[in-house]
Amino acid sequence: MASTLFRNIQTVPLLLYPSAFFRRKNGALYCTIKSSSSSVTQTQTATQEKQQDPQIKVSTQTQTKTADKLIKDYEAIIGIETHVQLSTLTKAFCGCPYNYGAKPNTSICPVCMGLPGALPVLNSKVIEFAVKLGLALNCKLSLNSKFDRKQYFYPDLPKGYQISQFDIPIATNGYVDLDLPMEFGGGHRRFGITRVHMEEDAGKLLHSGNGIGIAVDLNRAGVPLLEIVSEPDMRNGIEAAEYAAEIQRVVRYLGISNGNMQEGSLRCDVNVSIRPIGQSEFGTKVEIKNLNSFSSVNRAIDFEISRQVLLHSQGQGSSIVQETRLWEEGSQKTITMRKKEGLSDYRYFPEPDLPEVIVKKEYVDSIQNSLPELPEMKRRRYESMGLSMQDVLFLANDINVAEFFDATIAKGADVKLATNWIMGDIAAYMKNEKVSINDIKLKPQELAELIASIKGGTISGKIGKEILFELISKGGTVKGLIEEKNLVQIVDPAEIEKMVDKVLSENPKQLEQFRAGKTKIQGFFAGQVMKISKDSAGGIFMRTLFRTAETNYIPS
Amino acid sequence: MKSKHSTHIMGPSYKFTLLFIFKQGFHKIHRNRKEMGSRAVLLLVGPSPPKQNILLLLNYKKVSSAPSIRRRFTTKATADGSSLEPPDVARLAETARISLTPQQVEAFGPKIRQVIDWFGQIQAVDLDSVEPSIRAGTEGDDLRHDNPETFENREAIIVSVPNYEDPYIKVPKVLNKE
Repeated sequence: MASTLFRNIQTVPLLLYPSAFFRRKNGALYCTIKSSSSSVTQTQTATQEKQQDPQIKVSTQTQTKTADKLIKDYEAIIGIETHVQLSTLTKAFCGCPYNYGAKPNTSICPVCMGLPGALPVLNSKVIEFAVKLGLALNCKLSLNSKFDRKQYFYPDLPKGYQISQFDIPIATNGYVDLDLPMEFGGGHRRFGITRVHMEEDAGKLLHSGNGIGIAVDLNRAGVPLLEIVSEPDMRNGIEAAEYAAEIQRVVRYLGISNGNMQEGSLRCDVNVSIRPIGQSEFGTKVEIKNLNSFSSVNRAIDFEISRQVLLHSQGQGSSIVQETRLWEEGSQKTITMRKKEGLSDYRYFPEPDLPEVIVKKEYVDSIQNSLPELPEMKRRRYESMGLSMQDVLFLANDINVAEFFDATIAKGADVKLATNWIMGDIAAYMKNEKVSINDIKLKPQELAELIASIKGGTISGKIGKEILFELISKGGTVKGLIEEKNLVQIVDPAEIEKMVDKVLSENPKQLEQFRAGKTKIQGFFAGQVMKISKDSAGGIFMRTLFRTAETNYIPS
Repeated sequence: MKSKHSTHIMGPSYKFTLLFIFKQGFHKIHRNRKEMGSRAVLLLVGPSPPKQNILLLLNYKKVSSAPSIRRRFTTKATADGSSLEPPDVARLAETARISLTPQQVEAFGPKIRQVIDWFGQIQAVDLDSVEPSIRAGTEGDDLRHDNPETFENREAIIVSVPNYEDPYIKVPKVLNKE
């Protein structure tokens, strides 16, 4: 303990761990930022991380204040390049199938291996997906664009060049809207999209531990990517991470990519620079790679901002150099990967083996008309339905959850009740069992039926919950289960009265106490009635009748 | 004023023409990495910084809207087509990752220049009646359906890999020069 405390105090003068400055902000994760559809309550993580040792917390807060003070004088400029791997069946320019996790070097052919004489032919899906994304990001589409060669020599690229788009990308000049999570004060943001272009992925390199050589897997070489370049509109880690999360939502809503960061289907490289507030020129830009999750995007950026601010404030601004840094998850730091010496010379020129990419206006229009409801539209619609922003962000975060919710309310379910069931018991089940909403056996129609049955008084809320778990794990219908288990709420006064009489006569001791004026024991009788009725006694009716029955037994 | 314009527009469109030619007839040769000569020519196009390529397009469009001016320039380009700077052969060799002796560097310079001048003749072609295009002579629509097709002779590819240790292709550890 003592050493931990000591280290934290030491960081103030030595400033070795600028990341500590942000601990307070980093502690909480935001609810909309999730990689898997099943994750539910990030708030738990937040609480856990906040429950630090009180002594450490004191010193952290002092540091945070110092950092906040420093950071207040600076502005961070953040831009993001996102690579989205498209979920086409085949590669961009050849018919090789692509399956993540397949045996290395099995899905290869002369085209993606760059063998002499082989010619690329573009996969029509790549254009379709690019147009979809371009429209979803409110971009201007280039009806005529082309491919270019980007030359570089590296073993992950058998041809010696990457087929990409250089000066005429398929989409330019768009924007994306998003809502920041409530934990971070909420708020709506619009971030500019500079461009979206089509290109091919490179192979995978595995650097062996012995340092002798590199193992190459070319299955991924030639797989289609869309690169999305943002405007430098983000100002902190949260905004950047939320931007990336929104891109993930958009590509998943569009069904053009699984957006999985762990598998590398969604990769973010961020550019961070800082400048004193009031200065118009940008500072030196540093690129950060190796960001495998949204929270690492957030933490890496905040670390990098504080690192740069610190250097700047110590008069060492010149030691911020244009370079690529790697985010190290273990140490929560960015480290130098390589310094950039001037701009790379990729010697771009138009790809001679591929024709111009021509997209007809009618084609664009037909795609525009078939676009699904996108995350931003969904959020605005949910908001207009009267849901809180917390609910809205939760429901719209995962396309499958949103579709489940939409289907439930389409069956006439009460909006708020449906939300509560999904965000409560259903979400908890998905989290515990680590399944997505598509894996559970409960169907939206049955959830709607369940809600209606409770609302209409056929079953009690308690029974509703029991049925729910049965529906989730085993399936079936609400009606079927109610009948099968004889769970219909008893609302017939005569029947309830019979039960009340039975309970009273079977428990003479308690009745005696009750008569003696111990009215609290009424709850015991109610419980007994529920027990013999197997929870199906209509609560309201029962209480009324119980009271009537009481009077018969209580000596006036 | 006139000369200022001519250098501004002529340079890039000159390069564009080169690319055009390449695409039309030489891409097969180019794909063969052993064909050093064609590669060198190709690289000569390359070293222009990316920005210039954007200019190329903009200028090309601009020019096409004023055909009469353009013709004047293209004629001029033929006249002093050799006003380009001499190629930096050593640098070209480095970007292509090929080693040249100083003698070779000296010998290649004029040869590359000759090839470029030869291509330069195309500047004389009258393009006034030709619609400007970002790519030449294609209708597009040369697309493929997203139907998987496994290449049958994978073994032959693997066999030709110099160092293959199942299931990986092994290469020496390299430092990224870029």
